[in-house]
Amino acid sequence: MTGPDHARFHEDTAAFLLGALTDGEQRAFELHMEQCPECRDEVERLRPAADALPRSVEQIPAPDRLKSALMDVVESEAREDPARPARRRRLRDLLPGPALRPALAGGLLVLALLAGYGVAQLSTDEDQRTIAAKVDDSRVPMASAELRIEGEGDDGAVLSAEGLPDLGGRRVYQAWVLRGDKVAPAPTFVAATDGTGTVTVPEDLSGADAVLVTREPRGGTRVPSENPILRVDL
Amino acid sequence: MQLVQGGNPRAFELMYDRHGGAAFSLAYRMVGNKVTAEDITQEAFLSIWRSRLRYDQARGSVRTWVLGIVHNRAIDALRRGTVHERRRETLDGVEERHEAKERTDVEAARREEARSVHSALDELPEEQRRTIELAYFGGFSHSQIADMLGMPLGTVKGRMRLGLEKMRLQLAEGFTPGELV
Repeated sequence: MTGPDHARFHEDTAAFLLGALTDGEQRAFELHMEQCPECRDEVERLRPAADALPRSVEQIPAPDRLKSALMDVVESEAREDPARPARRRRLRDLLPGPALRPALAGGLLVLALLAGYGVAQLSTDEDQRTIAAKVDDSRVPMASAELRIEGEGDDGAVLSAEGLPDLGGRRVYQAWVLRGDKVAPAPTFVAATDGTGTVTVPEDLSGADAVLVTREPRGGTRVPSENPILRVDL
Repeated sequence: MQLVQGGNPRAFELMYDRHGGAAFSLAYRMVGNKVTAEDITQEAFLSIWRSRLRYDQARGSVRTWVLGIVHNRAIDALRRGTVHERRRETLDGVEERHEAKERTDVEAARREEARSVHSALDELPEEQRRTIELAYFGGFSHSQIADMLGMPLGTVKGRMRLGLEKMRLQLAEGFTPGELV
């Protein structure tokens, strides 16, 4: 099913994804897309390729002053935003009057320490977590692996393995993402001469059940050809 | 991301730590000037902070969302001003200007991923790769590209589509970092 003027707009799908339409053209295309399932599907089909383009860029560190300047503004706006720090205001509102404050000082110190610990834990958890893989000892007896997930897993994860046998030139290791009874292919990788191997699982892992690894023909496959040799339950 | 959406500056700072480098790198790749890249990155992150409630997880990862906003800002900067004139002369291919340090496994893995996307781009026929790079990294509109390359607009659009289609297939079929080690 197509929307009005489909023939005119259909050629613009890639230009839309690459940002190569002018502002007016882009608005017109977006309006058309709302009514045209075929163009919507085409855009979603090609989107992974366009989204991959910025990942080809050589990474250079941002200047430190950029973060300082940015956070100055953010901190300032957060202080001014009445909708934000409800928790802090509630704690302050719960404090007793001046006469009782000294008596509560020790207790509040403990509370502050506990709160500080909680924040530190949250930051660590938010930043990164690592999960060990289960290994099929009968097939890869020397192997071990772990999955490192940044944040909430919406940026994917990195699987690092050791003790992997060299599969020769014709086969590779391939990662998979398991959701329910469906398995989606993730990138392939090879073991280095010291038996280590690393692969980025770029897929959003929110809601995924596990990351798996199998051995597949070079180039990878769309469906696993064997039971997993490694499994990381999420 | 929920903490960022709740207006927590510390959570936002973590998000910046995670994606700021990639954002700055993309901006620099597009405009070829560190000062302008810095401005673009700062504008983009402030826009993200101020429109944080608009993030929708169903539409992609945080990183993709952030880089999309940076890309749009860089295009605006390119089309606004004089940057295009300087960049017009240096758009031949993907130039590597800096050696990034490998500080963590994650960064190392991302560099592998970068090589994979690079390879997918390099596998394209020259005219498709060039058209995609002029559009995405150069910020040129399809009409400008048609003028620059002296070809019909329909041809430019067709090359963009074919190029993205081939890249999609290559990236989906395991043309991957591990293969390139």
